[in-house]
Amino acid sequence: MEDNRLTIALSKGTLLKPTAGMLEAAGLPSDGILSDSRAMIFDYPGEPPIRYIICRPTDVPAYVEHGAADLGIVGKDVIVEQGKDVFEMADLKYGYCRFVVAIPAGMTGITLKDLNYKRVATKFPHVAENFFRNRGLQAEIIELHGNIELAPLMGLSDVIVDLVSTGRTLKENNLVELVTIMDSTTRLIGNLVSFRTKYDVIQPLLERIKALVKEQ
Amino acid sequence: MRNREIPKGLRDLLPEEMKTRRRLEKKAAELFTSCGYDEVLTPTFEFLEVVEAGGNIREKLFLFMDREGGILSLRPEMTVSIARLAATHLQEEMLPRRLFYSANVFRHVQPHLAQYREFWQTGIELLGAAGPRADAEVIGLAVQVMREFGLDNFKVSLNHIGIFNSLLDMCEIKPQDQELVRRLATKKDLVGLTEALDRLPADDLLKETIALLPTLHGGLEVLNKLPCIENNPSGTQAVEELTASYGALRDMGVEEQVLVDMGILRGLDYYTGVVFEGFSPDLGYGLLGGGRYDRLLSQFGFPCPATGFALGLDRLTLVLQNKEEEPSRCLVGGADWAAMVATADRLRSEGRIVALDVEGLDREQLEAKLTGRPGWSLLYIDDQGQGGK
Repeated sequence: MEDNRLTIALSKGTLLKPTAGMLEAAGLPSDGILSDSRAMIFDYPGEPPIRYIICRPTDVPAYVEHGAADLGIVGKDVIVEQGKDVFEMADLKYGYCRFVVAIPAGMTGITLKDLNYKRVATKFPHVAENFFRNRGLQAEIIELHGNIELAPLMGLSDVIVDLVSTGRTLKENNLVELVTIMDSTTRLIGNLVSFRTKYDVIQPLLERIKALVKEQ
Repeated sequence: MRNREIPKGLRDLLPEEMKTRRRLEKKAAELFTSCGYDEVLTPTFEFLEVVEAGGNIREKLFLFMDREGGILSLRPEMTVSIARLAATHLQEEMLPRRLFYSANVFRHVQPHLAQYREFWQTGIELLGAAGPRADAEVIGLAVQVMREFGLDNFKVSLNHIGIFNSLLDMCEIKPQDQELVRRLATKKDLVGLTEALDRLPADDLLKETIALLPTLHGGLEVLNKLPCIENNPSGTQAVEELTASYGALRDMGVEEQVLVDMGILRGLDYYTGVVFEGFSPDLGYGLLGGGRYDRLLSQFGFPCPATGFALGLDRLTLVLQNKEEEPSRCLVGGADWAAMVATADRLRSEGRIVALDVEGLDREQLEAKLTGRPGWSLLYIDDQGQGGK
């Protein structure tokens, strides 16, 4: 392993395109990462050499926490759900979405308090559980892995906690947003040791990226 | 086979790893002893009241009750227990008192590689001495012990907890906001920290400085990037103490291994002065940590300054595995048990590692057994009592 190589874990999917643009603007290579959809590792010679690992967004914090990647680019939604021990370095501002509690349209007129002891379907059990517990509410969390909006339709849950960006999916499934839990955007995260051992590379990069975000 | 399971986050230590670990412990113990440190050991569990004198980390504790109704906690680290031990037994002794330990500690954490619920720490405590020389002795020993272990590319980062605390005090914000800022800074959530500070009513330059702290890392010049600190007496004092400790370390010739890092806050509440962490590029987690805790012993009625560190043996073992050559082993077989024992004893007294054939096998069977096992040699004693190959 090359000692001074900077390894960055990138989230594949919708974040990859804006991420490639951001990397390029920050003076890092990005050739090929958008066009070659099957490769998972991209190496670029240079000073320092750069390596990208393209992986599922939910895997990015693990790579970074264990030092398999020095840096990672991933949504706050993933970071907060996983609670991994990483250095959250900068808000990149793109990839906006928010965690919401959504209820079937027919349930309108209720408040959060009425959700005590209700069943909550979600892909984000930690976020959901913390949210209800902090408000003194008990909720039965049902963890699902996709298409959360189906759960209330089928009677599996009373409400859902999900990530929405435009809210279109909710509307299509006859769900309405009751309350926003938190906003999420894309973050630059770093391994706590790498930040120190590769400070001379990471700190200037961090400053460039922060300046870029500020300009926008 | 349910009866083979072990609880989450624990592990068995097999011979290879134990060898590395014992070697590390031995080297550390020799070094600490040569510097005047004496070994102590405290009970594996303590009353919760003792553990909580070090701060509230209740969600990380393994708690249970004794039959008299007391709440007990497996020790989550050694420093608090040693402070209690010193307050109970060592108050009359000459200060400073130098102690070291090697012990298992227990924390209810989410287990993953290099983070277990039972793990082993070796460390030192220097009790009854304030000032840069005491700090430098302890940090210098941290550097030296890593060198003894054969780690060449490690660094130790220093900070002074008073720098962050004094900047936070200058903000004049509510205690719960202070707590939030402290938690976000300790967690290294730079985004959350910046956002939280933005919302708080405080001087802009001050807030910028606090938000900058987690990324300030380098030589002593880092301390020049703290614009607000000169207006604050306790902050100025913290900078002076850190500079003095750094200077003492430079005079010890360990400057190469030492850095300043304003992001090091340590998780535990009891630190009061210079704090530090050691790390290596070979592992994504810290290898050692420690610092000054001048108020902890007074919790036990023994007001006296103190500093120390603990290193994580499990993590060090990951980095340092297989760096020592295995000595070869000899298997002594034969028909004459008494002759075998005598031969084995003689070889052992020469420093060899010798095992006896307790199965009573003949030469051919023993040769077959050792085929393909490098590191073993056979000594078969035939009827004449002579050792053959």
